Amino acid sequence: MGALRFTAILLAVGAFYAFCIAFADVDLWRLWKGLPRLAAWTARAWPPNFEDFSTLLQRAAETIAMASLGTTIGALIAVPLCLFAAANTTPDAVLHVAARGLLNILRGIDSFVFALLFVAAVGLGPFAGVLGIALHSAGSVAKLWSESIETVERGPVEAATMSGAGRLKIITHALLPDVLPALASSMLYIWEFNLRASTVLGIVGAGGIGQELKSSIDLLDFPRVFAILLIVLAMVTFVDQVSAMVRRHLA
Amino acid sequence: MTASLRVRDLCKSYDGVRVLDRFSVDVEPGEFVALLGPSGTGKTTLLRCLARLADPDAGEIYVGSHAMHLLSGRALRVARHEIGFVFQQFNLVRRRSALENVLTGRLADVSLWRVIAGRFPEADCRAAFAALERVGLLDYAFQRADQLSGGQQQRVAIARAIVQRSHLMLADEPVASLDPAAAESVLALLRDIAREHRMGVLCSLHQPVLAERFADRICEMRPSPG
Repeated sequence: MGALRFTAILLAVGAFYAFCIAFADVDLWRLWKGLPRLAAWTARAWPPNFEDFSTLLQRAAETIAMASLGTTIGALIAVPLCLFAAANTTPDAVLHVAARGLLNILRGIDSFVFALLFVAAVGLGPFAGVLGIALHSAGSVAKLWSESIETVERGPVEAATMSGAGRLKIITHALLPDVLPALASSMLYIWEFNLRASTVLGIVGAGGIGQELKSSIDLLDFPRVFAILLIVLAMVTFVDQVSAMVRRHLA
Repeated sequence: MTASLRVRDLCKSYDGVRVLDRFSVDVEPGEFVALLGPSGTGKTTLLRCLARLADPDAGEIYVGSHAMHLLSGRALRVARHEIGFVFQQFNLVRRRSALENVLTGRLADVSLWRVIAGRFPEADCRAAFAALERVGLLDYAFQRADQLSGGQQQRVAIARAIVQRSHLMLADEPVASLDPAAAESVLALLRDIAREHRMGVLCSLHQPVLAERFADRICEMRPSPG
């Protein structure tokens, strides 16, 4: 019976991948034919072109600002949302379900898609990116935060309940201190994630270094593309390091 | 004079199993009553029902003049203020200092913004220091709760109940996770505080020796037949 089941599972998984390969239009021959072109571009990309470095730096700063503001605004929205969404802090069963639904919607729609909508609403530029990141992050942060809150021991909260105080005072005094490091850590994680995500937001016109990336690729200016990728790499590494350092201090 | 606690015919079942079957008990002000019985006899269930951390199926609970079994919402919160609860696992906020944990007992009367800012009124802080001194932990006021020993943590929990100025103390196996010396000093403290503050204490224990030494009266719980 074990062998039969194993064969069935193998067949099912095989069929799934066959379906994926067919639908994703995978064609190794085309990759093979394209390789020389990629190689030629890579060769032409050397040396990286850091001309107009100040514009690139300004765009990089835009990207960092966009990711940081977006994450912060998202976290502010996530504060009430996570308290409603966590089973042990929600004041009401209906609100609990509503908050869960809302955060799943926000989380399910990518920053990229939100940014696309906001570019249409508030015009081109990093502000649309900030709004897009904020909405998506609100969902992600609230999800992570509500999960942390749900894993907290209920003992201290019960002890505080016996003081006869209201819910918000109990949460602030007896629940938050023990989860705060975990909350800060997940917010930093989302911040790192948002920085990587916002490097491409420029492609939909939402500002930042992605805008330079797109125009350089459109112009087949590969030395400049190379320079931009190096800056992105430096930026992401820097933020990851800062974030890791802060997290170590939180532990 | 009204009793600290009066329980009449309390019933509670879990999944069709009767844990409490028409249970009654009285605790007078200043009296230390030990709830004695092996584990599984419903001691924890009883204490949680009395504090309404769990809801009884039937019966009456009076804490002072509060009919606990009838209350909900704000009225229940006000009534809970009359009950200090000491848990087996202490239930202190780990990352807060001993002092801040004691101040939890004053939470009901402090405004939300003061709680958020961590700035409790001076009178409350004085009461908290006094309570810590009473339980012999004044020197540890600023020590984080998770750096205290088990016995010390339980003393902080008792100080928390003192500043709450409650009329009844419920203690659920308060010494079960302590070594014998710490257990004795915690029970002695509970007994003395009951007398000083005219506070009724209902304390569950599983060791008859301790119950006989410290309690004014012993209330035995037997496994229910069904």
